[in-house]
Amino acid sequence: MVVDLYSKKIFNMAYQFAGSFQEAEDLTQDIFVKLYNSLSKYDLARNFTAWLLTLAKNHLIDEYRRTKWEKKQRDDFDDHLPGLASSDDPEGGLLEEENRKILWEGLNKLPADIRMTVILKEIQGKKYEEVAEIMGLPLGTVKSRINRGRLQLAQILRDKKERKNGL
Amino acid sequence: MDCEKIQELFSPYLDNDLTLKERTAVDAHLKTCPDCAGLLSLMKTAASSLAAFPEIEPSRELRNKLRAIPGRTKRFRAGLSFFLKPALQPVFAAVTGFLVLFSLYMFNPDKKHINQAISRTFQRGVGQIEKLYAKAGSLTDNLGDYAHSVLISLKKINPLGKSAD
Repeated sequence: MVVDLYSKKIFNMAYQFAGSFQEAEDLTQDIFVKLYNSLSKYDLARNFTAWLLTLAKNHLIDEYRRTKWEKKQRDDFDDHLPGLASSDDPEGGLLEEENRKILWEGLNKLPADIRMTVILKEIQGKKYEEVAEIMGLPLGTVKSRINRGRLQLAQILRDKKERKNGL
Repeated sequence: MDCEKIQELFSPYLDNDLTLKERTAVDAHLKTCPDCAGLLSLMKTAASSLAAFPEIEPSRELRNKLRAIPGRTKRFRAGLSFFLKPALQPVFAAVTGFLVLFSLYMFNPDKKHINQAISRTFQRGVGQIEKLYAKAGSLTDNLGDYAHSVLISLKKINPLGKSAD
C-alpha cells in the first residue's frame, strides 16, 4: 500500500524541509491528498518514486513561498529525533551532535531550492541524476546548487565555531 | 585561481569528479590558503553529519489519517461531480444572473427611484393588459355579429336557383 511504502519517506522530507513536526504532518497529508487526486495523471513510463517526490517537492516549495517558513523557528533538534547510536568516543559524539544541531538550524538559512537539493542529495543520499529528475533541473544546475549549499553550511559551521571560541 | 573559483570546485573535488589538471590546481591552492583548506574540511564534516541524520517514524495517527484520504476524496468527488453536471449549468447561470441583478438592486443607493420606476412600469403594464382585454372583448362581439349575418345570408341562398320568397 502506498501509505506503508511512502509515508515515512515523504514525512521525513517534509520534516527536514520545514523543520517543524506539526507542519510536517500537515504537509504530508496535503501531499497525499494531491497524490490521490493526481494519480490519473501519472505516466506509467515514469519512475513512481521520482514522480511522487517531485510532487512532494513542488508542494513543499510552493507552501514555503506562500507562507515563508524561514521566519519560523525550527523544532529543537532532539525533540522528535530518536536517540542516536552511542559513540565509542564520547567527546567526538558530542562534537558530532553539536554539528548536527548547527546544520539542522542552518538548513533554514538556505534558499528553498538549494535546501531541497541538499536534503535530497546529502540527507536522503540520492544520486545527482535522481536529484536532477526530482527537481526537474539539468545535472549541472543540481551540482552547482549542491556546491553552493555545502559551502553555505560549511560557512555556518565555521561562523558558529568562531563565535563559540570567541574569535 | 582565486578562492572563489577554487571553492566552486570543492564539491566535484570531494566527489572525485575533477580532471587531473583541476585537482592539481585545487591541491596547490589548498597548500597556500588555510581559509579554503578549513572550509573544505568543514564541508566534509557537514556532508558526513547530514548523511547521518536519523529518519523519524511518522506517528500512527498520521498513518491512519493518510489511509483515510482515498475514501474522503471519493466522497468529495462524488459530491462535486453532481454539481459539475452539464445539465445544471443553465440553472447556475440563471441563478448567478438573478443574484447579480438582485445585488445591484439591493445595494443601489438610488433604490427609491428604482422602486418608483418599477411601480410605474407595473401600472403601465396592467393598463396595457386591461386595454388588450377590452379590445379582445369587442373583437369577440364583432365576430359574433359577423357570424350572425353570415348565417342569415346562407339561409337566403337557394341551392336550386329558386327565390326563397
